[in-house]
Amino acid sequence: MSDTAGNGAVLVVGGGISGLTAALEAAEVGNDVFIIDKNPYFGGRVAQLNQYFPKLCPPTCGLEINFKRIKDNRKVRTYTMTTVKSVSGGPGNFEVTLETAPRYVNSNCTACGDCSDACTDEIDNAFNFGMDKCKAIYLPHEMAFPRRFVLDKDACSEECLSAIKGACKYDAVDTEMQPKVFTINVASIVWATGWDPYDYKKLDNLKPESSSAIITNMMMERMASDNGPTGGKIIRPGDGKEPESFAFVQCAGSRDENHLEHCSYICCMATFKHMTYIRERYPEAKIYVFYIDLRTPGKYEHFREKLMSDENAEFIKGKVADIIAEDDGGVTVVAENAVTGVKMKQKVDMCVLATGMQPALGEAGKALGVAMDGNGFVVSEPEKGMIAAGCAKSAVDVYTSGQSSTAAALKAIQIGR
Amino acid sequence: MSMNVQPDLDFIKDMKAAGGDTLKNCFQCATCSVVCPLSSDDNPFPRREMIFAQWGLKDKLIGDANVLLCHQCGDCTAYCPRGAKPGDVLGAIRAYAYKFYGWPKGLANLASSGKNLPMLIGIPAVVILVMWLISGGMHIPSTEAFVHHGYGNFFGHWNFHLLAKNVFFIDLMFLTAAGIAVYGSYKGVTAMWKAMAENAGVGEALYRPSVPQFIKEFFWPAVVEIVEHERFKKCETNADRIRGHLPLMWAFIALLFVTAYSAFAQDVLGIFIPSLHGPMSLWNPVKILANVAAIALVVGTGILWGNRTQMEKDGQSSRTFYDWFLIWMIMAVGVTGIGAELLRLIGIASIGYVTYYLHLVAVMMLFLYMPYTKFAHLVYRTFAMTFERYRDSAYVKNPINEE
Ligand SMILES: Cc1cc2nc3c(=O)[nH]c(=O)nc-3n(C[C@H](O)[C@H](O)[C@H](O)COP(=O)(O)OP(=O)(O)OC[C@H]3O[C@@H](n4cnc5c(N)ncnc54)[C@H](O)[C@@H]3O)c2cc1C
Ligand code: HEM
Ligand code: SF4
Ligand code: SF4
Repeated sequence: MSDTAGNGAVLVVGGGISGLTAALEAAEVGNDVFIIDKNPYFGGRVAQLNQYFPKLCPPTCGLEINFKRIKDNRKVRTYTMTTVKSVSGGPGNFEVTLETAPRYVNSNCTACGDCSDACTDEIDNAFNFGMDKCKAIYLPHEMAFPRRFVLDKDACSEECLSAIKGACKYDAVDTEMQPKVFTINVASIVWATGWDPYDYKKLDNLKPESSSAIITNMMMERMASDNGPTGGKIIRPGDGKEPESFAFVQCAGSRDENHLEHCSYICCMATFKHMTYIRERYPEAKIYVFYIDLRTPGKYEHFREKLMSDENAEFIKGKVADIIAEDDGGVTVVAENAVTGVKMKQKVDMCVLATGMQPALGEAGKALGVAMDGNGFVVSEPEKGMIAAGCAKSAVDVYTSGQSSTAAALKAIQIGR
Repeated sequence: MSMNVQPDLDFIKDMKAAGGDTLKNCFQCATCSVVCPLSSDDNPFPRREMIFAQWGLKDKLIGDANVLLCHQCGDCTAYCPRGAKPGDVLGAIRAYAYKFYGWPKGLANLASSGKNLPMLIGIPAVVILVMWLISGGMHIPSTEAFVHHGYGNFFGHWNFHLLAKNVFFIDLMFLTAAGIAVYGSYKGVTAMWKAMAENAGVGEALYRPSVPQFIKEFFWPAVVEIVEHERFKKCETNADRIRGHLPLMWAFIALLFVTAYSAFAQDVLGIFIPSLHGPMSLWNPVKILANVAAIALVVGTGILWGNRTQMEKDGQSSRTFYDWFLIWMIMAVGVTGIGAELLRLIGIASIGYVTYYLHLVAVMMLFLYMPYTKFAHLVYRTFAMTFERYRDSAYVKNPINEE
């Protein structure tokens, strides 16, 4: 089977804010666009944020308008749960083989949720980083686009599966669905595959699994979100304690040749943002930020100044290199204060690892002929018809992602000409 | 703490040559000070040493006890996010300090560079060869005489009892070498102590410990800790090294005892009882101890050899002359020593004599260069660990002693 499209069609791999932007830019000047995402929904990491700077608006304000524009634009074809299997040909005439994994729920689904009510098996909620459970047939998150359920078939018993099927009034559950492989012809490919949070379990000196008081910055985003695992409460996983003190561990796994060598650029800003989340809920809580040096892009300087003058916040120059789990559920973080030259052991109720952004494409990209730098970021090669956008290209914020996606779309459509 | 110290270009050059050239990568995150299992809360290292080294503040570093408290277990290097290899940098600072404090200077400079290796081997080789010539003992004995006297007539023999010719020549050479080493170490260690005391702000104390107090409260506990290898045990990345260092150190202690005993037996008692000259029976308890120690020495050094090779392969340590020269010297002493003994037992005089000659060369190198090569750690580390106890004791910390 083959999907044919007009001359100058563009494939956008990755449907986060960058991919969506690039797809729309290309489609709105008249090119055919295929946009695929390996997730069962579009929106990428931004969908997981509680609020995003600079304006601290909820992710809906950026994403929903894009979703609407995509729905309205007949030039864009969307494929979720889809990945690239192979790429052949060259600029102007690529032949790309795609594979769509079975969703086990067809387009009849109205997202009524009856199946979910009937489902007896539960799985870790990946959208919330496993901080809670969800039913094995689920809507990935409240504002998921497309608004269609997805079934984790392997997690279900036979009885559960038949209960689910029986519950759906629209005959939308199809447990016999097979993976679908198909090819498309495009003139150029935009790689907007974004990032994954660096696996904090690899930071072995911090013993990240020794205490549930240790969370990551992305877990913080989910907890602070109204649609998150705690309904917007920032509480200690495990015992639900309302923390009276917080430690932020900056550069956790970034700028570190044993982990991610690059600076993830955003983690310092994210920590300032998280301080505002904490202040909204706990005006008196003690906050300790351990850093090597604080990096904030010029445009956010004002934001930074405000938070650095917080009386209950202390900024310590020195990287946390040890964390000790305490009996009361808290942890003690250890760092050398490089200004005083003395080791500091600070007991806190909750510890947030400011982990960085790891390019998501990884080795699989190399096999597809994508050029990457030493850190795994995609290097644009417009002459070869391969263009990088957003966080696939470098660790940046949403604003910069938007800019680079517009630029990427421009290059992509030029190849089709 | 005043900072009126000047960067020292010569020092920076030395650091690079000795394997500390990764140091510029350090961005002062202080991960190293936290993961270091030996660094204390009030006086953490090696982050501070890294910035001093970057700035070329030699004077701060050669008087910094932390540099010598570091056991180069390399946990810091394993976790350093920038590949700055702080463990190696501290090793390079130690190498520099031994050279800096070395007396006489010429010998110290000579012993600190791999380029001088031919000279370093040449000096003892020539001295011993010339002595062998002068002594008139330079001929290969018959197998019978060899089995009977062993190497006891290496430097010939005089037919009067007061002092065996062999003993005389050995003492002449080796007591001289040892004398230089002991005096050189003494000068170096006292200079280092003074620098450390100044750096740590140990002023003129009102109450100073007496010598017996000093030994009892600071020196002896340090020695006990060293012999028990307490700090080696805390190392994680390089945990295996203790398996080499422990037998090696005990081998040296045993051989020191054996040497002292045989010197007493041959040089003192031998004057009255000539039969004490010549090889000991294999079943003599002292000889048994000597043989066990010799094996421990070779095995221990072998373990350290393998361990260092592995560390270098894994990129956890840089290859330097400073590190290898000591391992080579000790290995040479052990192998030639055991070799000479075996050849004596088999009775091959010719190869035996040559091997024994090489053994003497190796031993003299180890003695003579002790204060300037990595072997100097034996004394400098011992006194640094003594100083640490002193620095943190009531003599220094007591408010009465502070103005
Ligand atoms: C803790 C934290 C807080 C942040 N807060 C802010 C903030 O407040 N403001 C701000 O501006 N920025 C913030 N950022 C940065 C922001 O998240 C990124 O700028 C943004 O996600 C970039 O979007 P993207 O589309 O490039 O990548 P992503 O959001 O990662 O989207 C990539 C998409 O590609 C898909 N994909 C990946 N690989 C494949 C594949 N092989 N095949 C198909 N699809 C694939 C993914 O499923 C995903 O949907 C924050 C980052 C962190 C770590
Ligand atoms: C008879 C005495 C000693 C001998 C023969 C000896 C021998 C050695 C050797 C061969 C090494 C090199 C290991 C390697 O390259 O990995 C070494 C390392 C070391 N020794 Fe000793 N040593 C002696 C005494 C001491 C003493 C008194 C201390 C005091 C603490 C000490 C502490 C250390 C330490 C910390 C190291 C590892 C650090 C480094 O390699 O610089 N040693 N020793
Ligand atoms: S040596 Fe490495 S770990 Fe230590 S402060 Fe420098 S960069 Fe950090
Ligand atoms: S080598 Fe070991 S002892 Fe020395 S500073 Fe590094 S971690 Fe500490």
